[in-house]
Amino acid sequence: MMVERAMAAEAALGTPEGPDHLVLSEVGMTFGTLDVIPSLSLSVRRGEMVAFLGPSGCGKTTTLRMIAGLLDPTRGRISVGGRDITHLPVHDRDMGMVFQSYALFPHMTVAQNVAFGLEMRRMAKVEIRARVERALAMVQLGHLAGRKPKALSGGQQQRVALARALVVEPSILLLDEPLSNLDAKLRDEMRVQIRSLQQQSGITAVFVTHDQVEALSMCDRIVVMRGGHVEQYGTPNEIYERPATPFVASFVGRTNRLSGRVDPSGRLLIEGRPVAAEGRLPEGAVEVLVRPHRMSLRAASEEPPAGLNSLPGVLTGATFVGDLIQATVRIGAGEITVEQLTRRRSGLPEPGSAVTVAWEAGDTMVYPEGRA
Amino acid sequence: MQIHKTSKPMGILVAVLFLYLLAPVILVFPISLSGDSVLRFPPTSWSLRWYEALFENRAMLGAFWTSLSLAAIVTVLSLVIAVPAAWVMVRMEFRGRDLLFNLFTAPLLLPTIVLGLAILIVFASFGLLATMQGLILAHLVITLPYALRILAVSLATQNMACEEAAKTLGAKPLTVFFRVTLPMLTPGIVAAAALCFLVSFDEVVITLFLTGPRISTLPVELYNYVYNTADPLVAAASVLLILLTLGVILVVERAMGLGRAFVK
Repeated sequence: MMVERAMAAEAALGTPEGPDHLVLSEVGMTFGTLDVIPSLSLSVRRGEMVAFLGPSGCGKTTTLRMIAGLLDPTRGRISVGGRDITHLPVHDRDMGMVFQSYALFPHMTVAQNVAFGLEMRRMAKVEIRARVERALAMVQLGHLAGRKPKALSGGQQQRVALARALVVEPSILLLDEPLSNLDAKLRDEMRVQIRSLQQQSGITAVFVTHDQVEALSMCDRIVVMRGGHVEQYGTPNEIYERPATPFVASFVGRTNRLSGRVDPSGRLLIEGRPVAAEGRLPEGAVEVLVRPHRMSLRAASEEPPAGLNSLPGVLTGATFVGDLIQATVRIGAGEITVEQLTRRRSGLPEPGSAVTVAWEAGDTMVYPEGRA
Repeated sequence: MQIHKTSKPMGILVAVLFLYLLAPVILVFPISLSGDSVLRFPPTSWSLRWYEALFENRAMLGAFWTSLSLAAIVTVLSLVIAVPAAWVMVRMEFRGRDLLFNLFTAPLLLPTIVLGLAILIVFASFGLLATMQGLILAHLVITLPYALRILAVSLATQNMACEEAAKTLGAKPLTVFFRVTLPMLTPGIVAAAALCFLVSFDEVVITLFLTGPRISTLPVELYNYVYNTADPLVAAASVLLILLTLGVILVVERAMGLGRAFVK
């Protein structure tokens, strides 16, 4: 059902084209009595980079390992380019995998590490040397070919792992939290580098991460997972702007939660005041989500801006964080956060004073109450 | 980690403890150079006569070569058996795995005298007493648990992702084992080999039950020698044994550093 919805959304928006390359149909994984993945279906197009995004324990790594063949799915079918690989042994799958710990062979030099996959393919020595050289040049590590992995920094090891996975020209590149062991600055660099290598080679890639920034910035599409289910599958923009569930909205980016009702005539009311939203609204008790930076704040004495949703509240506090001011506002029984860019002359009203919070109708996200 | 400077009283205490542990061993060196005909400290004269006597003693030399080849064979066999066994114990999931592992390492806990008696009774009925095969089998009973334990720990701490990476790169299971698992296991293998060699070379209790006039090992021969004669020949033999042991440890140290081989 989720997939249908995601596919419908894509049809509407237009995402990277190309035929389906990797297809998972009703794949399930059970460990003992634990249903880690009840049933999962999704497809990845040729040349596309897709992120599996979710909190730990959501089944993203399990799914990746099933695609790699390191885990045998309990149910369902996995195919690559139309060929069923569900129960194919790992070594026949022709996939490149980059591990969280890099998993470089400690007893081999950098060049030997990169050459390993080519040797397994019984390639001629001369050809292997040429390819290894090219692969190491691609990740700017040609000068370290003779070193052992231990003598390299984390970022360099990461690049060797990437070269080793890509040099065999696998059908699919699998990345398991490849950036989580790097420091922040290196992570930014590697994000750009991995993405550009993937795009240059045009390889289909699956990227497992719990970091929304990585998923949003690097991937063509994102699968948001929770508890072994797909919560939403879509482009970074869709995921962020039109989250399918409150979980997606709060996992990707931050949100404010307000309680409201939709009356039988289809009007949305928060604290008894009408609020405009786009699309069809579910009737009854609803949860209303608005991102903090899409809201603005002004003194209650000012005229509320025309054409925007506005709610009265009380300013309870404000934190200055340089380019932003984070203000907390009590509305009814709840408290929300409003983020505003700072300007040299703008001042916030005094804490404790009455304020008006305003936002555009299109930024109102409405979900039936009780759906997490 | 910060390394604290040891305080003086602590330094003295450690020195005294070391002296207490090593004094008897150190004492062997001057005694081996004694010119006297009886074991006595300090010697009244100095000479190399007991080293000469040792190298002219056919029984001792024979026992030395028996011990050396026995230890070598036992070490190789221990590794050949323990490496795959450890792999199965650590990498495979099956019912009764822990039970099996405990069973295999149980001889470590049994009194060796009991083992020796049991082996004597069983081997007697198979005609294995005072044979090389018998000695090899008996020594394996003691060395295998050591080898298995060291290798199992090494394997368990090994990064399994490396094996998985090799698989994804197209390596078949046996290739993964020989090109990734085994080379990564080298420190564990060297440590296990050194320990097996020393344990076998040094074994007295069980070996006593299985040796006789036909075949004897160096420790047993030394034991018998001291039983009958009390001259400094045993001191000379002891010095050579100590040097051999040190040699083995040096080889391990040179190969990878003791810490890495035994501690990791």
